[in-house]
Amino acid sequence: MINPTVVELSRLQFALTALYHFLFVPLTLGLSFILAAMETVYVITGKPIYKDMTQFWGKLFGINFAIGVATGLTMEFEFGTNWSMYSHFVGDVFGTPLAIEGLMAFFMESTFVGLMFFGWDRLSKPAHLAVTYLVALGSNLSALWILVANGFMQDPVGATFDPNTMRMQFTDLGALVFSQDAQAKFVHTSIAGFVTGALFVMGISAYYLLRRQHRDFAARSFRMAALFGVIASLAVVTLGDALGRMDYLVQRTKLAAIEGIWHTTTPPAAPWTIFALPDQSARKNIAAIEIPYVLTPLVTHSWNTAIPGIDSLEREAKPKIVNGIQAATALKAYAGTKNPAALAEFRKYQSDLGYGLLAQRYAPDQDLAKITKADLPGVVDRTAQATIPNVFVEFWSFRIMVAFGFAFIAVFAFGAYYSLKNELEEHPWMLKAAMWSIPLPVLVCEYGWIVAENGRQPWSVYGWLPTFVSASTHGVGYMVFSLVGFALLYSLFIAAELYLMFKYARLGPGFREAPAAAQAGAGPGLGRPGYANKSWE
Amino acid sequence: MRHVIKMVALGLILAFALLLAVVAGDYAPWYFAWLVGTTMIVLIAASGAVLFETQDAARDRRRDNL
Repeated sequence: MINPTVVELSRLQFALTALYHFLFVPLTLGLSFILAAMETVYVITGKPIYKDMTQFWGKLFGINFAIGVATGLTMEFEFGTNWSMYSHFVGDVFGTPLAIEGLMAFFMESTFVGLMFFGWDRLSKPAHLAVTYLVALGSNLSALWILVANGFMQDPVGATFDPNTMRMQFTDLGALVFSQDAQAKFVHTSIAGFVTGALFVMGISAYYLLRRQHRDFAARSFRMAALFGVIASLAVVTLGDALGRMDYLVQRTKLAAIEGIWHTTTPPAAPWTIFALPDQSARKNIAAIEIPYVLTPLVTHSWNTAIPGIDSLEREAKPKIVNGIQAATALKAYAGTKNPAALAEFRKYQSDLGYGLLAQRYAPDQDLAKITKADLPGVVDRTAQATIPNVFVEFWSFRIMVAFGFAFIAVFAFGAYYSLKNELEEHPWMLKAAMWSIPLPVLVCEYGWIVAENGRQPWSVYGWLPTFVSASTHGVGYMVFSLVGFALLYSLFIAAELYLMFKYARLGPGFREAPAAAQAGAGPGLGRPGYANKSWE
Repeated sequence: MRHVIKMVALGLILAFALLLAVVAGDYAPWYFAWLVGTTMIVLIAASGAVLFETQDAARDRRRDNL
């Protein structure tokens, strides 16, 4: 018997470690390319301040990178310890991108990070610049392979189930790597990291400008980050739309939950619900506020296509569940006897095997063989309802993500505008907005991850393997102990990160500081920023 | 001779870029968009810094003329 408490604790533990880890990842993805941009300007112009900028922001990058790697290590082991059935079922497919990611992270990325930090006096300018670009590329390629693996969980392509080995067999690496889901997910996640990195640099620079510290340094950093961020924030919204379209094409239960669509929409164009309190038990949205004619063109790219609601998705799932129960029963018979008749029966229904495994949770004693004719409608109904993820969580995680995504465009646009006009210090509200926005992209990335992974439920591999049967058979005590251990350890990592980040950000760049007289505006020179004339002379 | 080698190297890079564009355009449009988009974002950020220096220099010149 599978203990549902152990499964829920395993889920909680993985969610916790993934969310902790993902606090660090976006900043690494974005800051690495900002460093590359800064060093590019240093190599082109030869101005030492850009080297100072690369080194200072590089130091903060290094803190984040080190702690981020430490938090990521445990997750790969978790697949084996807590998700052994999952690892057995899709290990052949999932292990490949994960192994490549490990090689990327530990060989390419880490080697070049070392060269980047310690190679300033040992490498030529172009060689060091190449190293910085390789760090940025390596960081993002690491993310690529993780997201290729995750893309398989969302849209399993490039593999087939083999009843002899009882697991998914890899058939096509190209299909896996070039999966539309993996592609859309990678670009959206990576560019969300760019937004995080840009707001981090912009926010800390704003802090210096508000305190009238390191102004040469901060004004240039702010300019670069604002321009980097304004394009990235526009791109992340566009690419998010592409990902939403993917959900419409391959994960309709996720889309229905995101949009709180209980009943199939009636053409022409359906409204988009901007606010509602989805009630899953009553199967309706409470206090809904809708914008007409938005949802259909947004997701279907047409005006008159119906979007399936949760009720019709559940109806569509029911025959698959009945077939799946037959497939799972035949597979069990084949595994024991290698009977060709059982294999033929399995082949007939194998595409719905996952639905049969999902029904196992609701079968008497979790045994499909014990389902009687009288039980079957009840089991099918409960399983069909279970194919829908938590609508409230999905609905609101998505809206928080989108609302902040648009807010970031405004912050970057104002920042870029005032920076280009050299009027930053005349608008302290802008600087304060940038400074207080520093943690927001990280939280928004977390909400994005929740949308992606909560929306995949109840599957660990969409349509093939339910989460319920994916976990290891640990005891509750073991799971609680390890969960508490992880929470404490990872909280320690976060505390260390925050302490070091605050410490070094407050200390500031500390190189080639302009003399105090010039900082106060007593005479020209020393590369003082032009905007200074307007505000402090 | 150096010029010839340089031209050949640039030609090879161009051929690789074209091949990448054709293959990626067919099989990996979003990956290709990421490559082009990231390059553009980095270049725009860098050009913003270069513009900053130009504005700064112009301001210094104006101040010197006063």
